[in-house]
Amino acid sequence: MVRVEHKRALLVFRFGDKKFEWPIEPRYWRNPMIGIGLLALLPLIFHSKADFLSLFATANIYACIAIPLGWQITGIGRMNFGPQFFVGVGGYAAGLLSVHFGWGPWQTFPIALVVGLLFGIILSPLTTIAKGLYFSLITLILPLIFLEITCYFRIFQGETGLYGIAPLIMLESIKTEYMVSGYFSLAMMIMYLFIVQKVLSSRVGLYAAAINDDEEVADSLGLNIKKWKILAFVITSVMITMTGWFAAHYFGTFAGVTYLHLPFMLKILLMVMVGGRGDIYGAIYGAYFVVILEKVLTITGSVNYILFPLILMILLLTLREGLYGIYRKHRYREYYPTMRVRK
Amino acid sequence: MLLQAVEVSKIFGGLRAVDNVSFSIETGEIVGLIGPNGAGKTTLMNLISGNLKPENGRIEFNGQDITGCEPNKICRSGVSRTYQIPRPFPDMTALLNVAVGVFCGKHRPHMSLGDAMLDASHFLEFVGLFGKRNTLARDLSLFELRALEMARALATTPKFILIDEVMAGLNQYEGKRAVRLIRKMVEEFHVTILWIEHVMKIIMEATQRVIVLHHGELIRSGIPADVVNDPLVIEAYLGEKIA
Amino acid sequence: MQTLLVVLIYAVILGSLYLLISLGFSIVCGVLRIFNLGYGATFLVAVYGMWMLMHTFGLGLATSIAGVFIVQFIFTIGIIYFPIVRKYMEQEELLLTALLLVALIVEETVNHFYPVTAGVDLPTTIFPGTIKVGATTIPAQMLIVVAAAILTTAFFVLFLMKTRIGFKIRAVSQDNEAARLLGVKVERVYALAMVLSAVPPTICMLVIAPIWAIEPTLGHSMLQTAILVTILGGLGNLRGTLVASFIVGLISSAVAFYANPRLVGLSILVIVFCVLLLKPQGIAKSESLW
Repeated sequence: MVRVEHKRALLVFRFGDKKFEWPIEPRYWRNPMIGIGLLALLPLIFHSKADFLSLFATANIYACIAIPLGWQITGIGRMNFGPQFFVGVGGYAAGLLSVHFGWGPWQTFPIALVVGLLFGIILSPLTTIAKGLYFSLITLILPLIFLEITCYFRIFQGETGLYGIAPLIMLESIKTEYMVSGYFSLAMMIMYLFIVQKVLSSRVGLYAAAINDDEEVADSLGLNIKKWKILAFVITSVMITMTGWFAAHYFGTFAGVTYLHLPFMLKILLMVMVGGRGDIYGAIYGAYFVVILEKVLTITGSVNYILFPLILMILLLTLREGLYGIYRKHRYREYYPTMRVRK
Repeated sequence: MLLQAVEVSKIFGGLRAVDNVSFSIETGEIVGLIGPNGAGKTTLMNLISGNLKPENGRIEFNGQDITGCEPNKICRSGVSRTYQIPRPFPDMTALLNVAVGVFCGKHRPHMSLGDAMLDASHFLEFVGLFGKRNTLARDLSLFELRALEMARALATTPKFILIDEVMAGLNQYEGKRAVRLIRKMVEEFHVTILWIEHVMKIIMEATQRVIVLHHGELIRSGIPADVVNDPLVIEAYLGEKIA
Repeated sequence: MQTLLVVLIYAVILGSLYLLISLGFSIVCGVLRIFNLGYGATFLVAVYGMWMLMHTFGLGLATSIAGVFIVQFIFTIGIIYFPIVRKYMEQEELLLTALLLVALIVEETVNHFYPVTAGVDLPTTIFPGTIKVGATTIPAQMLIVVAAAILTTAFFVLFLMKTRIGFKIRAVSQDNEAARLLGVKVERVYALAMVLSAVPPTICMLVIAPIWAIEPTLGHSMLQTAILVTILGGLGNLRGTLVASFIVGLISSAVAFYANPRLVGLSILVIVFCVLLLKPQGIAKSESLW
């Protein structure tokens, strides 16, 4: 049976000859706990303001795309310019079923999961066939193809988007409903953060780093790169798909035009870059920063559309390690990836 | 017999880079692989390690056919290699570089990251890089990179190591240290070595047997003292006149 | 029979248009080996720069045409090349993101000063009226597009093949390190290539402005077309780009006439996607510039 040992700062779980280590040092836990606590307070503070709550959920949804993307880029050693494709897959799977058959969120959940898995598996050979730049190009084109398809077939309602998708929960008071779905988004973000953090700090993270640095050498050191690349791609794709499912049910509408276009991809990319490329916490900083900046700039009137990209560009080119880099300099023992498009 | 190659050929376009080469290596030997520039030495090494697939012929390792297998399969069956121009994982520390070898060289499903680090630091200490364990690989010097590559190769628990030009770019002192390191490797880990080298003196001292390649063909194989006096070998290196 | 003729005429016209759109992108791709994702902004600068010079500053037509080339020059050199491309050549993820952002900034600036309601209209019509071919009519200005595309391409090919600077550009495109060692000032060649790449979009916008829907978001579709044609043509090979643009023109006119005009974009995307999967290097034979 499961035996638990306590070794200094580690809890070691043994199950047969399997071993699982869990660091219980407070210094690893303190800051994330404080951060999550602060985030959890936000919906309570702004419970009366619906637009703030939807901003909060938007930030969490963006983070839910950016966090798996961070794993994916290192895990397959290529730059993915089309993560929004899978957002579209999840969103449309949920939206179509909900609008045309009247299914609720928990009925569409498994379907969205399966569809995302299917698309992930179909596209995963690309990670081993297509070399650096070509992978980026293919992923750049994919969402555009999807967008064209949604515009062509009537059932996708391309121009107007799907509306009237079943909400996540139905409650008596609309205020509590907003608050509870805000907490849902936070829970989803924390779950993603937890999964990716655990994975990247385990041996899989080491494999991802090796694949990102030099595939060929990793291969001749005995690492089965095909297996790990396909696994990383499929799992992250499913995670991004589920974000699409969540977004569709949260907002109640889903339009390919908002999610599949280049500007949306640019926003996600900027979150990863401006937030800090070295660490997955950077993606959360980036997501909240971008969303808040967009909201704050609306007070400047119609100039905000110019100011928003301008400010992000200045930040992008001046902060070399992103916003997270201000808070903490990276130490040598941590892996700080270099992204290569050309390779 | 540890490694056996039977009539292995590799063709690049119109060039027969390796042409019907057959040889075998016994357990515990140190075999030198020499030949003038462009003779196909590194290609032969890539064929054995699986980075290239041979057009025809058969390579057997430890009684197993490994022809055309993927590099990771070949590595797990016990063949490890170093590169002529060192190729570390540049963004990772020396310790993590070796830890990748520890994890991947064998099927180790129950090893935790900490255990792998501990293992890796043993190998780093063995090659004398323990003090640099937390340095990024891209900041290491050429000699240190060579040592790191050897530590990484050893970490995959090989029976057979392919070494590609240790001496290139090293000064005399560093070269001596590198040769001493390889000797120590053989003594402690009982590995068999196939060693490409240009410096004849080291080949004469360190190896028990030499294989000579010229234009992709195996022209001579035997103990070093005989091979260097062979007219065919001298001709291959220096031209017809002197031979 | 009649339809086939119309399809072929449209294939030539659309092919020339696509060629004019993607020529500059292809040159940057071939020489600098980067994707100029800010390419869409070049079209906006051309058409709205012209409008600004004529409408806001009240210059004449000829002066404005000269002026718009100068504006274009300042934009590509002063905003795209020196601050961004040269500085971040080696950090591609930064480079691509920054270029996309520049395009977005230009688009939003244009949208702020000249929104769609401003009614931009350039008087650069040379042939007014339409030509009737069978059951369809073609704007006569389209013939100018064909002529402009052929002339511009001929100019580029002659420039690259016959002149000294053309030789230098081709040398840099094949191996920039070797060219640097042989005494070519690579940075200068890059700058020149960036300037050259802005010429076809400017000509293109001047010619098609009277018959095109001018709106601040036209950069997106232009960039998308340029990327697709360049990928099909083998990332920067001019001969490949030439062939690829006419192939894409043929496909779009055939699909529009025989199937559904709304399927055009999708069919091109799918074909380029298949080409990328099966033959990643495109239809070009080599990785050279011509």
